[in-house]
Amino acid sequence: MPEHPSPPRSRSAAALVAAVLALAGTTSAARAQDIESVDSYVLGQGFNVGPVNFAGYSSVVLAAPDQGRKTFSLEDLSLYASAHVGALFNPFMEAELTGLNLVPWGKDGGEGDGGKGYLVLERLYNDIQLPDGFTVRFGKMLAPVGDWNQIHAAPLVMSTIRPAATYRGSSQYATGLSVLYSDPQARWPDVQVYWQPMDEFSARPDSIVDDHYRLVEGLHVSFPLALLDKVGFSIQRTIDRQGVEQHLFGTDFRYTMDQWSLQGEWVVSTLSQPPSLHSTRDLEWSGYVAPSYALNDRWSVYGWYEVYDGRGSMPLLGATQELAASTAMPFGNDRVAQDVLAGFAFRPQPAMVFRLEYLQNVGGRPINPTGLFASWSVLF
Amino acid sequence: MRRRRSLLAFLMGLLLSDLARAEDILVVANPSVTLGRSLSTADVAAIYLLRMTLWPDGSAIIPVNREIASDVRARFTAGVLHQDNASLIVYWNEMHFKGKLPPVVQESEQALLAFIRRVPGSVGYISGGGVPEGVVVLARLPVVATGGGGP
Repeated sequence: MPEHPSPPRSRSAAALVAAVLALAGTTSAARAQDIESVDSYVLGQGFNVGPVNFAGYSSVVLAAPDQGRKTFSLEDLSLYASAHVGALFNPFMEAELTGLNLVPWGKDGGEGDGGKGYLVLERLYNDIQLPDGFTVRFGKMLAPVGDWNQIHAAPLVMSTIRPAATYRGSSQYATGLSVLYSDPQARWPDVQVYWQPMDEFSARPDSIVDDHYRLVEGLHVSFPLALLDKVGFSIQRTIDRQGVEQHLFGTDFRYTMDQWSLQGEWVVSTLSQPPSLHSTRDLEWSGYVAPSYALNDRWSVYGWYEVYDGRGSMPLLGATQELAASTAMPFGNDRVAQDVLAGFAFRPQPAMVFRLEYLQNVGGRPINPTGLFASWSVLF
Repeated sequence: MRRRRSLLAFLMGLLLSDLARAEDILVVANPSVTLGRSLSTADVAAIYLLRMTLWPDGSAIIPVNREIASDVRARFTAGVLHQDNASLIVYWNEMHFKGKLPPVVQESEQALLAFIRRVPGSVGYISGGGVPEGVVVLARLPVVATGGGGP
């Protein structure tokens, strides 16, 4: 059960309203010479109102697992607002409606535990930009573990179904302080250190996340190889609400060669369990590798292979949260999940993508449900 | 006869030199931007790749881009940023999600110049020729022409 007495949606909504008011109030007072509105709207670039840029993305997902209930859901409807006023004041806020069933489908008419949607506050922070590429950030931010988590918007990532290695077993968020370094000439690696000394601000409800962390701290170093290519290394230390201390080490990469691209991530975590939990698990690891090939400017084929040995057996995000409940399978002796995914994508324009993909569990207990998935995602 | 040939060669040289300069790209900014030096090609690339976000006085840099079909953008993208449009769009979309605003798009040189004249901190590029009024030139970058099309 959630530790907080108020319903999660109410708490998130209150936080969202407070964030919007704070952003609107402070930006209007901070800058007299507003940026002009863009004359022509470009899909994916948002629109400017005074000094504030509003943008977002949405993703609609049709999930047809081999076992369990099919769903047609609004996986994400995200709105982010940012303002760039000067060195000291660069606020950013993202709020998201997630996991909303659009069509009652299945024997219980989509009235299971999930599918009613949640409004969550993804990010709320301010950047203080310092000379020579340094930035001090405070607030709620995405934790830089790997690459996928930092660009997890559906239109930006490779597939509809997200490899578990990119989000399970680590804190996806950090509420606190962070220092970022980005060399203007890209001669040195990008570096981010972060520290969350308390509970996550506006934490997502237990029904859509595995863990809540009361301490998060870490480091991410990314070596840029080209515009989109990079090699990154992540370290993260967390303590969750149950007192489990975790040390994570990870590496990620992205490499492009002509029409081919290859990306992947590998994470290993050591766990220190409090005696009261009576758990013997002291190591988790997972990784994925994902090739893709661009047939032309609009069509591409992609796939990934993942191995996962960690806590839990099913994803708990958005529409797939429902699948977790509806396709739950008994645990086998082999705890290492292996999934293979293959699909193709059609981008009628850069900000929009249609995807059709099939995921097959090929070993171990399922971490993602076997089945067919389709999605339509757009940046706006 | 010899003097005529020399004069002709001199005039041809002047003409070619002028044509070459016309293919340069001028980087122009709002008059609020005062640097005291020219921007290098690497500086301009860092601005458009959103790695350099502040002017030396601490004000925000607002890069302005031309529409994707324009010839000057093609030359700027290939000759200054050394990238292709498709990769840049992916990159800018990712950076936007990370909280950094991509360059503002203006559909003509007139619109771009009007935007830059209005918005402090803004910077853009135009085909090298005369220097327009109401903006300051931060760099003149020699860029190989891609051929065809106007600015």
